[in-house]
Amino acid sequence: MLFAASQSVNPILPATGEVIWSVISFVVLMILFIRFVFPPVRKAMVDRSEKIRLDIEAAELARNEAESALAQYKAQLEEARREATRLLEEARATANGLREELVAQAERDAAAIVARAEDSLRGERDRVIAELRGLVGDLAVDLAERILEVEIDRLTVDPLIDRFVAEIASEEA
Amino acid sequence: MLAAINFPPIGEVLNWRSIAFGSGAFELNKVGLITLTAALITLVVFAIAGRQGRLVPRGVQNLVEIGVDFITNSIVRESMGPQGLVWVPWLTGLFFFILISNLFEVIPFIQMPATARIGVTAPLALMVYVVFIGVGIRSQGLGKYLKSSLVPSGVPVAILPLLIPLELLSTFIVRPFALAIRLFGNLLAGHLLLIAFAVLTEALFVKSILLVADPLPFAMLVVLTGYEIFVSFLQAFIFTTLAAVYIGEAMAGEH
Repeated sequence: MLFAASQSVNPILPATGEVIWSVISFVVLMILFIRFVFPPVRKAMVDRSEKIRLDIEAAELARNEAESALAQYKAQLEEARREATRLLEEARATANGLREELVAQAERDAAAIVARAEDSLRGERDRVIAELRGLVGDLAVDLAERILEVEIDRLTVDPLIDRFVAEIASEEA
Repeated sequence: MLAAINFPPIGEVLNWRSIAFGSGAFELNKVGLITLTAALITLVVFAIAGRQGRLVPRGVQNLVEIGVDFITNSIVRESMGPQGLVWVPWLTGLFFFILISNLFEVIPFIQMPATARIGVTAPLALMVYVVFIGVGIRSQGLGKYLKSSLVPSGVPVAILPLLIPLELLSTFIVRPFALAIRLFGNLLAGHLLLIAFAVLTEALFVKSILLVADPLPFAMLVVLTGYEIFVSFLQAFIFTTLAAVYIGEAMAGEH
């Protein structure tokens, strides 16, 4: 017989044994629970919250750092770009100046060469003309003496020869 | 034919014979064993959870932490505010002890909620009673505590002679009884309902002609078992919440 109505007859009245064992159960539970069993659970939960809080803070910090680094890189990139543009402009200006100077120098050199060539040509012509004058004079006097069989005074014909050579030179020019 | 159903007398389904320590004051019966087991289960479950201490909780630890979170946020913060957080361990122990004692109602082969006995709920209610009065006296002093709990603020003096006895009755006399009887009554009723439908199902199964009707009480038994699980949680929650409200009120001195 499992059922034994031997304790309290009225089902609503408390049975002494049940009161005592439930008090013992609850009191022992509470002492062990509060002192030994609950703190580790609470600690795990608090530690987790703390870790999550720290992780979020660290993530926030890392993000801020990354953002500032990005901004810095962007600024540096912009600076580098400006610098490159400036260098390019400078190089272009230098190159232009150099080219103009070289062209001017070349022009000057060319003009000098031309002038020297002209000078030398002119000298040569004068020399040829002088030589020609002597040669033509001698030839003409010699020829005329032979044809006429008279001696011609060289000093009197020299002006004639000079005029003749000058005419030829002017015709040639 | 239904008259042939042998419904056990109420004493038979509530009064259990002694298992140990004879039949004296320390007589240990099924109810006593269930309360001891409920305490042990609470301790073991929390000890396992605390020992695991994983960063990402799983299994038992997860279950326990959900319970602690629920008690912390839905009971303590709601009814006591942040200064009530020191009571979380006590209220957590109380909640799980009552919950497990309740759940034995639907555990196969045990099927007896320890809290269906006034001998279990009355001491619990009495302890809550002693605790909240003790907290009130300790945090406010006897005079101030009595004044804050008996004299509602902002009430005309003329009504006070009527109100003070009422407050005395409701705070210091009715509260512990209500706490004890609410839990006891709900679980006892559930226990008797389950027995009634179990007996009916069994009786119909035996009586061959009425076997066709058997699925009805059986379905009811299944539904009620689910419902009693819900009631177990609900009553543990109500008891713990009221304990929290009473202690919080005694701490704050508000009415």
